[in-house]
Amino acid sequence: MEHVNPLTGFRVDGRRPNEMRQLRGEVGVVSRADGSALFEMGNTRVIAAVYGPREIQNRSQQVNLKEALVRCEYRMAEFSTGDRRRKPKGDRRSTEISLVIRQTMEASILTHLMPHSQIDIFVQVLQADGGTRSACINAATLALADAGIPMKDIVTSCSAGYLCSTPLLDLNYIEDSAGGPDVTVGILAKMDKVTLLQMDAKLPMDTFETVMELATEGCKAIATYIREVLLENTKQLECQRG
Amino acid sequence: MDERWFPTVNEREFIEQAFESGLRVDGRGPFDFRNLKIAFGREDGSAEVELGETRVMGYVTAQLVQPYKERPNEGTLAIFAEFSPMADPAYEPGRPGEAAIELGRVIDRGLRESRAVDLESLCVVAGKHVWSLRVDLHVLDNEGNLIDAANIAALAALSTFRRPECTVGGDDGQQLTIHDPDVREPLSLTIHHLPIAVTFAYFGDGNIMVVDPTFKEEAIMGGRMTVTVNSNTDVCSIQKAGGEGLMPSVVMQCLRIALLKAADITNEIKIKLSQG
Amino acid sequence: MRDLHLPLNQTQRVRLEAALHELQTLAPAAASAAAVTVADTIPVNHEDNILKGHGTTDQDGEVVATLCGVVERVNKLVYVRTLRARYKPEVGDIIVGRVIEIAPKRWRLEINFSQDAVLMLSSMNLPDGIQRRRTAVDELNMRSIFEENDVVCAEVRGFQHDGSLHLQARSQKYGKLKRGQLLTVPPYLVKRRKQHFHHLEQYDVDLILGCNGFIWVGEHVVVNEITTFNEDQEKLSAEVETFTPMETRKHICRLANAARVLSALGFTLTIELIIQTAEASLSSNVKINDMLGAEFYVQTAETEAKRRADLLGRKKGGAR
Repeated sequence: MEHVNPLTGFRVDGRRPNEMRQLRGEVGVVSRADGSALFEMGNTRVIAAVYGPREIQNRSQQVNLKEALVRCEYRMAEFSTGDRRRKPKGDRRSTEISLVIRQTMEASILTHLMPHSQIDIFVQVLQADGGTRSACINAATLALADAGIPMKDIVTSCSAGYLCSTPLLDLNYIEDSAGGPDVTVGILAKMDKVTLLQMDAKLPMDTFETVMELATEGCKAIATYIREVLLENTKQLECQRG
Repeated sequence: MDERWFPTVNEREFIEQAFESGLRVDGRGPFDFRNLKIAFGREDGSAEVELGETRVMGYVTAQLVQPYKERPNEGTLAIFAEFSPMADPAYEPGRPGEAAIELGRVIDRGLRESRAVDLESLCVVAGKHVWSLRVDLHVLDNEGNLIDAANIAALAALSTFRRPECTVGGDDGQQLTIHDPDVREPLSLTIHHLPIAVTFAYFGDGNIMVVDPTFKEEAIMGGRMTVTVNSNTDVCSIQKAGGEGLMPSVVMQCLRIALLKAADITNEIKIKLSQG
Repeated sequence: MRDLHLPLNQTQRVRLEAALHELQTLAPAAASAAAVTVADTIPVNHEDNILKGHGTTDQDGEVVATLCGVVERVNKLVYVRTLRARYKPEVGDIIVGRVIEIAPKRWRLEINFSQDAVLMLSSMNLPDGIQRRRTAVDELNMRSIFEENDVVCAEVRGFQHDGSLHLQARSQKYGKLKRGQLLTVPPYLVKRRKQHFHHLEQYDVDLILGCNGFIWVGEHVVVNEITTFNEDQEKLSAEVETFTPMETRKHICRLANAARVLSALGFTLTIELIIQTAEASLSSNVKINDMLGAEFYVQTAETEAKRRADLLGRKKGGAR
């Protein structure tokens, strides 16, 4: 299948190889949560809710009393993919992604400022069209900022691939399931440090470097957008407060 | 009750200070692997790997199943990892925890998605019968760096595994006969390349990194990155799940170091395979 | 808008947007200029020894924000004031909480903080009012004072070593709250004032604005003198018979709904504003349950915009 048209250079959905899908972020979608956000990357829609810092529910899980305990749960809604999913959570992929999201956010949250407490991050995929992992991390960042949890930096994530000898930014489901390499990068935007890096399928090293750079560029663009959303939200709340 | 081992402040400072002087507590250089020993079992497809004091056993079994609808002429390969409670007081029997699932998936991505094992040769009757390989990895002793050791165990087990030969025949040309190993020689798998996992542990602000961390080094590390590369300078898979942030230049540097290490280990494995 | 997801028709939406827009233009420009998000650099004069307060951190010699909020500068202190965060306690705050657990010699209360607050048995007046040492019998009878899920009003006494709060409820105005409603609003909408207990005579209603964002609207309780145990029992039986009169209940609901609408719109809650909003609903003949509807919502936004415009106009007029 031609993922990149050799004549026009367009991809299956009409984008250019280094073009990201349309982003949309909104905070405050779950009213009962301390912080929440909805993030869309093209057709992938993800909702994140953050509860905390609150009293630790399960004392036995607490490892380090001087820091907050961060828990994360990733689940996909049964209606999120084309065929109805039978196991929304608890399967291996969801467990691994929960672990990945938790460790990525933990790298940024200043847990030592909130000892003896726990922070719960719940991410739910409403529509899956490739790049769910990245959308979840972006939504979690928005939700944590909305909840007023101190963070070192904004964490954003984006994926990139390599099909038809072209590096492609922000793969959708069709491009993802083509069997080509898929690189997901998560960065701390201001400090320009890579915190999440996952790759599968084979790539020669130089190509890998190009693809990783492309994904990092995508992350920086998302970081600019997220910053705008948060700034707008803060200004609005402050003005309304009076 | 959490039975995990927590480092004392003294131990943590000792190891960190040693790193700052460029030393490791067990005397290795920062990019040295521990001693690798591979022992093969009596049956085909079983191997036990010792990386320093970490011991992992790999065991391969095959079964005839119906293929996936999307891939009717490919066999399947699945990796299952189990952390036995005898490896570490923190491991509980029963369902695999997060770490076991992560290990299974990292090795799975490195082996399956990089097409190290030829799955098309496992097809017997397209759309109906294919061989399904199952690699079981049992962790027997956890002294750090389980991913690398388990990966080598999986590779060693797959390299020595032989599946029975089967022919299609009978009256309607659809009947499947699986031949006994005594009657017909079993066939070994076609392995295109050996993807080797190299794990880096980060300390400090991401400026100190070491290869093949021991258990104690893992307990105090700031982050971990596992890179799976092969001797053809291909990057097969990378797993850096959060943790301390790294500069992209450091990531590329690690990849280059991993390529060198992978070449060494591939040689060692090949030597051991030819011996065993 | 966050809490009330309302179906607005076209005109209402236009009106609401106009009102919100006006609020934005009325807000002092300095406030929006000082807004920061996570990882924004805060412009700071490096020659002064700036004290870095809450919400800031030092990165490569620059002062960087760790929270989304507004930068406040007080003399040499620079800090970021968050908006939608959990409650930040200070000693002497009056808070309203809910009992979660009864532990040996203390009650644990939930107060919208990162940990549960602790109210020691010794910080609480005994029902018979005598000042004495708490015995084991008192400890066994803790349940007769507060049970799980009771709403309690108390004052912050101090912090424990692990960061959790210590409360005290020794005065007569603190204690168990009955016959009313508890509502939660974001804590940043409740400013610290001199008075948090408000007795609204015209409605015969008590309104307590807890600093942690828990607001109690209830029937007025006469702050009583010391009662002996027998009197208490009599009162109990008497209480069972007298219900809160219907009028008072309606007022309680009206005031509570007014607070809800104001918190959904994000306006700072002051007692005057709540009373004004409740009276506006009375004068517009809005039914109590309609107060949470779209029309009153938009109306309140417009009233507030006008009020602030008047205030600003008066200030400017006064300055000239």
